[in-house]
Amino acid sequence: MNDFSVEANGLTKYFGNYKAVDHVSLAVPTGSIYGVLGPNGAGKTTSLRMTLGIIDPDEGTSRLLGGQRPQSVRHRIGYLPEERGLYPGMKAREAIAFMGALRGLDWSEGRRRAAGFMTELGLERVIDEKIRKMSKGMAQMIQLIGSIVHAPDLIVLDEPFSGLDPVNQERLEMLVRRERDRGATIIFSTHVMAHAERLCDRIAIIARSARRFEGTVDEARALLPMQVRYTPRTAGDPAAVAANLPAGAELRDDAWHFAIQDADVEPLLARITASGHGVTGLSISRPALHDAFVHIVRQVDAGFDADATEDAVEEASA
Amino acid sequence: MTPFIRSMFVVARRDFLAIVATPTFLLFLLAPLFMVAMGLAGGMGASQLADSARGAGRIVAIADAADVEALRAADRRLRDAFTRGEAPPPLEYRIAGPDAPAPLAITREKGTDTYAVMSGPLESPHIVERNAEGSSGRYLNLLANQVLRDRAAGDVAPAKPRFESIQRGGTSIAVQQSLGFGAVFIIFLLTLLLAGQTVSSLAEEKGNKVIEILAAAVPLESVFLGKLLGMLGVAVLFIAFWMIVAMGGGLIAATQVDPAAIAAAGKAGKATAALASMPATGWPFFLGIGFAYFILSFLLLGAVFLGVGAQAGSVREIQMLSLPITIFQVGMFSLSAAAASAPGSGLAHFAQIFPFSSPLAMAARAATDDAKAVHLLALGWQAIWVALVIFLSVRLFRSGVLSSGSGWKFWRRNKAVLSAAAAAQAASSQSH
Repeated sequence: MNDFSVEANGLTKYFGNYKAVDHVSLAVPTGSIYGVLGPNGAGKTTSLRMTLGIIDPDEGTSRLLGGQRPQSVRHRIGYLPEERGLYPGMKAREAIAFMGALRGLDWSEGRRRAAGFMTELGLERVIDEKIRKMSKGMAQMIQLIGSIVHAPDLIVLDEPFSGLDPVNQERLEMLVRRERDRGATIIFSTHVMAHAERLCDRIAIIARSARRFEGTVDEARALLPMQVRYTPRTAGDPAAVAANLPAGAELRDDAWHFAIQDADVEPLLARITASGHGVTGLSISRPALHDAFVHIVRQVDAGFDADATEDAVEEASA
Repeated sequence: MTPFIRSMFVVARRDFLAIVATPTFLLFLLAPLFMVAMGLAGGMGASQLADSARGAGRIVAIADAADVEALRAADRRLRDAFTRGEAPPPLEYRIAGPDAPAPLAITREKGTDTYAVMSGPLESPHIVERNAEGSSGRYLNLLANQVLRDRAAGDVAPAKPRFESIQRGGTSIAVQQSLGFGAVFIIFLLTLLLAGQTVSSLAEEKGNKVIEILAAAVPLESVFLGKLLGMLGVAVLFIAFWMIVAMGGGLIAATQVDPAAIAAAGKAGKATAALASMPATGWPFFLGIGFAYFILSFLLLGAVFLGVGAQAGSVREIQMLSLPITIFQVGMFSLSAAAASAPGSGLAHFAQIFPFSSPLAMAARAATDDAKAVHLLALGWQAIWVALVIFLSVRLFRSGVLSSGSGWKFWRRNKAVLSAAAAAQAASSQSH
């Protein structure tokens, strides 16, 4: 028995002589929600396509659902592509049943489930409406339903939140959690950190074609030191206050902002208490995933900027 | 049912319904009606033209009053040997005399074409004719001779012929060959009308991005085959509809028309002669195998067009492709038609073996050759080629279109390579 639903090893893809994906490995535990994060054009979609066997990697292998080739377990996978597409002439219910039928679901069962899902997501008005009459967001929800209607064991969603309003984003999050509770494994890619932060058990960050981080959200946030915001009670000489704070502390409005290491928290509190400047506001918090993400991506970019030749190639092919 | 077959039918079902359940399909279905109507109008116009042209012409004999009756009798007898279309123009008579018009003046009379005028004594007629190669002048000469012979021979009892037609059961080689040609033509026409559409059938999925859903969910081979099957379903529906219309029309006509008239028409009609004759393999087998070859011809050419169309990046490219595709089909038709008219020749064997003309040529062979087992072999051979073409198309599609990053356009990759190479070169020259 294997505990990973996705085991992709060293996936590499060249488009011409540009390396779009460079030895990306993904290991997604069964029953978890896994986020693939990365800036635009980092290679997320290509990595997912190779993982699912839609395109063949130039190097590396992908095994799904217990060591099987992606092509042999198609009916147990649900996939929402980044480029949305439905037949505009089809009715919503038929479109969902069609996508289910492609994955081996019975047509009538597909139609039945389609109506159920749509009612649940507040789309009962448009069950028998043609796709071309729907808004983009609605069509996207239809396609999303179509990709999970056959109750797959592995669900891969490429940028599922883009183009949805906040209410539908909320519904989608609910749907993702429920599918996980049903026992499915979910991978989704995004560049919006808030969703990943709320949903993901683990994340991978892909930037410049390669995987730059893998771990839990908390592990990612722990990459950066904790952020402190301190407001003294007495508006004394700033230099005197700064003397008690680590170097690099910045005064913005009335508050001082600086970063500290985990071990320095107690000494800092002791120094502040002893200084006599008082405390009206003090917060010590982990940076958000957003900051960790930006930090990682900037580091990678900085590394690339050092190499002008490679950068030029990158830009030309972007 | 294996998953492959099942997903193939899912795709086929979607395509079939998407095509059939539109108002445009009605137009497509009824399009032959326009063709028939135009054909009828054109045919009527042409025959009217021919009639009026025939009515306008004449030949003229200027003869003594005493000779006119003899000429008239001889003309009647001679015309018996001609069918309507072959007969010389009607003969008019003028009485010779001092006030008779000159032959040239007659040719210049308005309202009608005069092809030839005969004047002078019958022993040495003077014939003015419009066209030296035409038969009108010679016919007038023949007429004069006939009258002279009648006079010399006196009264001769006419021959009493007994007509008997050649037995119909033994079909002539020529009729069988034309049956073969007919089969080639019908299959070609139907494929030309119906299979060409497959070229654009993947354009829809590429346009609305559904291709990624399909590619992720099912093997591309079953997408291609499913699309082909969907189109074949449309084609078969189209043919069935017109077969039923034709049979219904035929039944109604049969109840309306007097059987005697049919029998009378049957004596002369070439079509009924062909119907009464037999293809070498017999009618039921011939029709059945003809339909089977139509399906394989459709699948073969359709698979090629589907594969070629899948490589096209835009609607414009697909439109550009339709000309070479039509020419390819016409080429296969010419090859098979040539083979049909020379059964047993090397050319015929080539056309029967070459996969894309094989269905046409083999259908023709069924008309002239009574061997049946060879058709099973041919059907298998053609089916292998359908599979091979699909396989190659999918390979090309996967490596070309699907691998080219987010754009799904096959030219993108090359462009990226070129620009990347150019940029790299620029960068390296800068650093020197």
